[in-house]
Amino acid sequence: MRWTWVTTYGSTYLDALGWTLLAALLASAGSMFWGCVLFLIRLMGGRAAALGVGGYVQVFRNTPVLLPIYVIYFGFPLVGLPWPALACGALALVLQNGAYVSEILRGSFRAIDRVQFDAAKSVGLSPWQTFRKITLPQVLVHSIPSLGNQVVALIKDTSLLSAIAVTELTMQAKLLTERTGAAYEAFMVVAALYLVLVFATEALFRTAHRAVRWR
Amino acid sequence: MTQGGLDIPTLVILLKGAGVSLGLACAAIACATVLAVLLTALAFSRLLPVRLFYRLYIYVIRGTPLLVLAMLIFYALPAFDLRTGPYLAAVVVLAIYVAALFAEVFRGGVLAIPRPQWESAKSLGLPPGAMLRKVIGPLVLRYTLPSYVNVCVMAVKATSVLSIISVWELTLASREIIERTLAVFTILGTAGAFYFVMCLGIDRAGRRLEQRLALRGFGGEHA
Repeated sequence: MRWTWVTTYGSTYLDALGWTLLAALLASAGSMFWGCVLFLIRLMGGRAAALGVGGYVQVFRNTPVLLPIYVIYFGFPLVGLPWPALACGALALVLQNGAYVSEILRGSFRAIDRVQFDAAKSVGLSPWQTFRKITLPQVLVHSIPSLGNQVVALIKDTSLLSAIAVTELTMQAKLLTERTGAAYEAFMVVAALYLVLVFATEALFRTAHRAVRWR
Repeated sequence: MTQGGLDIPTLVILLKGAGVSLGLACAAIACATVLAVLLTALAFSRLLPVRLFYRLYIYVIRGTPLLVLAMLIFYALPAFDLRTGPYLAAVVVLAIYVAALFAEVFRGGVLAIPRPQWESAKSLGLPPGAMLRKVIGPLVLRYTLPSYVNVCVMAVKATSVLSIISVWELTLASREIIERTLAVFTILGTAGAFYFVMCLGIDRAGRRLEQRLALRGFGGEHA
């Protein structure tokens, strides 16, 4: 591999990295929010709501992400919503990853010992106080490692946005390969960049978990 | 074609695509299982470089998107003068990817075996081969089946990624149809239903197998 490759196309890669990061950040933030909403609906919404959210999760767990990406990208213009490709892709990632996030939160919620709720009641905490002071902190702390894994999966899934012409890392590598005829240099660099992103994300979540674990 | 857009010929094309997706996934799962058993053996090697190689393989494969891996192999193979059909290359990529996931599942299964099992197998004087076949293998199979099935479901979903590098399967078939007919919601909805049925089918079959293989004394849902 020629090292001049990196210097020649450095700015192209940086530009592409920016799009990947933007997509990943937008989609991560959206997924966390949407996952929390789904979790709360399932927790407090009664039987019908629980069934609805359960069905939603099943559908998104058992279909590939590429389908919602295409549904939104090709479908939105038909119903009068000409969104940019990046927004379409990010929304699809949010819909899918939100389902996973809600399941992670639910798992953490179920790991809380029932005795704690009795204890909370016996010291006179209101339901809202119990949720805010007992339930929520434990759910969040317990979820951090799994949420980290989910964000890593999401970062890798941003590569699928190349299918709808977002010029993120994977798309740019493909374009460079086709333009220059170099067989693998472009993809090697991009693979290394993804590895760095994944490594940094894992480190971030590990640090966060360590910081809040014992309180 | 405008409204609806789901006539019999279209449905047949989608069914064919679903068949290709399932075939790709099955071939990849079969190859990946063999590869993963070998990789797991590396993970428990006595030699540090071998164990490091295992860790590196897992880290690189799990840290890289499948699509990047697939493009790398698709563009690089001709450069090495290895001209293969898209389907063979697709199975190779999927197998390499899924093997890393399987290997971690198997490694976890081996680590989960209670110590007395090893010790009693050794004290009975079982040779290593018989120990693997009669004690470790059956236990790992039972410990890891739920996660193994999860990865299989993931493999079916992962085949859709290959559509981006023009492997014709369910997702590419749907994309071709919607670009022609604009029946976006019906076609992709149908494709989604096919994926859903395939994934849920594998999930249910796995659960049934789990019940059939359940051993007394190693019961419980996670054992």
